[in-house]
Amino acid sequence: MNKRFDERWTCEGDWTPAVSRRALLGGGALAAVWWAARGTALADLSLGDQPDPTGDLLVVVFLRGGADGMNMVAPVGADAYHRARPTLALARATDRTAPKADRVLDLDGFFGLNPAMGPLLPLYREGRLGFVHACGSGDHTRSHFEAMAAMERGNENIRGGIASGWLARHLDARPQKGASPLRAVAFSSVMPDSLRGATSAMALESLADFRLRLPEGPENRGGRLRQTLTRLYQDQLRDPIVDAGVETFKLLETLNRLDPAHYKPESGAAYPDSELGRGLRQVAFLAKARVGLEVAFLDRGGWDTHVAQGSSTGYMALGLTDVSDSLAAFAKDLGPALDRTTVVVMTEFGRRLQENSGLGTDHGRGSVMTVLGGGTQGGRVHAKWPGLEPHELDEVGDLRVTTDYRDVLAEILDKRVRSTNLAAVFPGHTPKALGVVQ
Amino acid sequence: MNVTRRDFFGLAAAAGVASAGCGRVARRLAGGQQPDAPLPQGDVRPIARFLNRVAFGAAPGDPARVASIGISAYVDDALMAKESEDPALQVRLASLDVLNLDALELSDLKEEAVVRQLQQAALLRAVYGRNQLHERMVDLWTNHFNIYSRKHYGAYYMAVDQLKVVRAHALGKFPDLVRASAHSPAMLNYLDNQVNRKGVPNENYARELMELHTLGVHGGYTQHDVREVARCLTGWTIETRFLHPKGRFRFDPGLHDNASPKRVLGTTIPTVKDPAAEVEWNGQRIPAGQLAGERVLDILANHPATAHFVASKLCRYFLGGEKREWVDRVASIYRQTGGEIRSMLRPILASQELLDSPPIAKRPFDFVASGMRALGAETDAGPAVLQHLDQMGQGLYEWPMPDGYPDKVSAWTGSMLARWNFAFEVATIGLRGTQVDWAAYGGGVDPSDRAIERFLASKRLPNRGLYKRLNEHVQGMEPERALRETAALCLASPEFQWR
Repeated sequence: MNKRFDERWTCEGDWTPAVSRRALLGGGALAAVWWAARGTALADLSLGDQPDPTGDLLVVVFLRGGADGMNMVAPVGADAYHRARPTLALARATDRTAPKADRVLDLDGFFGLNPAMGPLLPLYREGRLGFVHACGSGDHTRSHFEAMAAMERGNENIRGGIASGWLARHLDARPQKGASPLRAVAFSSVMPDSLRGATSAMALESLADFRLRLPEGPENRGGRLRQTLTRLYQDQLRDPIVDAGVETFKLLETLNRLDPAHYKPESGAAYPDSELGRGLRQVAFLAKARVGLEVAFLDRGGWDTHVAQGSSTGYMALGLTDVSDSLAAFAKDLGPALDRTTVVVMTEFGRRLQENSGLGTDHGRGSVMTVLGGGTQGGRVHAKWPGLEPHELDEVGDLRVTTDYRDVLAEILDKRVRSTNLAAVFPGHTPKALGVVQ
Repeated sequence: MNVTRRDFFGLAAAAGVASAGCGRVARRLAGGQQPDAPLPQGDVRPIARFLNRVAFGAAPGDPARVASIGISAYVDDALMAKESEDPALQVRLASLDVLNLDALELSDLKEEAVVRQLQQAALLRAVYGRNQLHERMVDLWTNHFNIYSRKHYGAYYMAVDQLKVVRAHALGKFPDLVRASAHSPAMLNYLDNQVNRKGVPNENYARELMELHTLGVHGGYTQHDVREVARCLTGWTIETRFLHPKGRFRFDPGLHDNASPKRVLGTTIPTVKDPAAEVEWNGQRIPAGQLAGERVLDILANHPATAHFVASKLCRYFLGGEKREWVDRVASIYRQTGGEIRSMLRPILASQELLDSPPIAKRPFDFVASGMRALGAETDAGPAVLQHLDQMGQGLYEWPMPDGYPDKVSAWTGSMLARWNFAFEVATIGLRGTQVDWAAYGGGVDPSDRAIERFLASKRLPNRGLYKRLNEHVQGMEPERALRETAALCLASPEFQWR
């Protein structure tokens, strides 16, 4: 177990040991707590000259609220699915009695894709996108907070004692000399727990918005203010605040040179004008700018569909369309760079098999993970399918978890991202090979 | 403005140099810098330092008041003050539902709105509270007994927790504070004690109670103690029964583990005949089963490790470090007085050590509150301001871990851009819901001196570079703009980030 991260739980207050400049991040969930960790890293950065990380760019999309995997990749071949969801079930692809728009897009004869996810079908058929079903953590509380806390920390459940995020441990396990200040970015107002404790991660909502907001006026009013402020920091003897200020100015300059505001996606890729769409667009921008981006984290809420969930249309379908359009645009925009990128879409738990009286679903267990990228063993639904008959369900009637979410992440880290220290990322867990990526 | 720009900065610079003192300059130059993570060295004006530690910085009029009555009298006043919410502040707080409704009534409001109002109330109190020391202690204890408002709808219990736990005992006795916290629905909810029951104990609260609230991680308890404390606290839960006052503390005898005696830190806590039968305890009638938990709180509050741990916390907060002589001295006051917070604070606050101790980085909340006070701003502490706090990483009651927002400078170095943007927005661009009366600076003989004194009360001396830069910057500017930009640059400067 990684001692440094563990100390977060065990010692109060003074837990950042001897505050080496790298260790600063103990602070964790702060927005944009990062760069002073790296001394001169920023000074080394210039556009396009960062060596690419050895492995794939890893993009994690977290669907917050417990996304209903069984209406994303629907087990339409199971009678129990249709019995349990008289209103919400998607129709079989072959069901001529149902309107065409309500029928799934067949994936393998048993599973079918929600038509709202249609934009992903070509990627699935090309073998660059695959699903892992009946997937999840060991959390049985069905609490969003606990399930997310467990999953983002890479624990089996909330009782796992590691406080730092799994992505933070991944980054920490392979420190890079002169690492980029843009090594890990969360497109979020706060640092997500997955990156909690990272010594080089930043959270921001928009690269273009990472700028000094200055008053406008004649005679370059804003520019003069900025210049004086820069000097107030340059004038000073070094201390942690002065260092952080100087590094901030350097990053502002870098982003200014990169000009994210005027980025034009390639191949006519059309991102939805949504938080996720805008986020992935910026990830593509950074990936192509070759500034050393290794990990990108995005999240999207709205999956807690207790009431009026809908099926091929409706509330949840709107969310699925956003996710699918965003991912499809990202793949198109990246073009050949998708070969060196892996995207994984995850959620804290799935939902009950039986629809409820509010035409929604309650918190459940197993759900779906989506994996996209050049190295994906796609065109398949990877699943040890547990079945949906009453005796096959978990506890109160949920899809059992037969694949540990950590096995999917570990395989991606191992084979695609080339992590050299999986034991530090998922301590105490021995990952099983799944063949989701090659 | 009846002074020229030249006077404006010329006088200020002169005043700065004059008060620097040659001895201090020499010490400063001879001292050099530490090679690793150096802290800014050098002297600060004693009154400015004092107000930055004991208050959320200097508001207009504060330095003059301290100068006239003296630090010692100021400390006595602050320690003796009974009511921190003066009428003017109450008017500002009056419209906030979270302060006027109970948890059940609040459930009509969205969680987001509840959290925002809680944050708004906290900021208004920090900026305008007459007894600033009280607000400082609220900041300290809120973090010591940190609660994440987003867990299990905890936001709805938070206002009561702030009022009945943190604010009620901020300057009282530490054992009362711990006990109030242990009975607080917000804490029971946050650290899962409401589901701690016989047969399926939940150790979450028991562990943090010892590790973070009382003994400290090296306070000498074991995993066995954690388990036993959890057993003692089984049945401490939140009222949910029909026709009962929901959302309050309740001891549920049916959930209490009375199977065998417990042993906590060497003390045996016996079983009771009937956990539901009422007994007399400290002048109250409580169910007998609840006694086990109350005894645990007695043991912890009277433990020498707790005295030491609380003393360390106070020293770090006010003195910027844990010098052994100070921690020992304060811990011994804890033991002598049974944890009287006022008695522990008195020697710390009136000490030379407070004026000489290393600087402490302001957390974002501190930065924003002290910025508002420095400007003498009239703010509603509404969404426009709170958004800045979010961006700096300290939206209040949003820290998920039980240890509270970190106090290390290293945790906050990522917030520089957000701090600068706040400074520029509030002083030059304009911030919705916040006004600054710039004209008020123009009336006197020497607005510049007052302005810099106020904006940069934490100014380290000597720092002639700062004056030089500011002087250059305002060359040729009309007076109000010069004043606004001086204010913005002062708030954004390295100096203002320390207290």
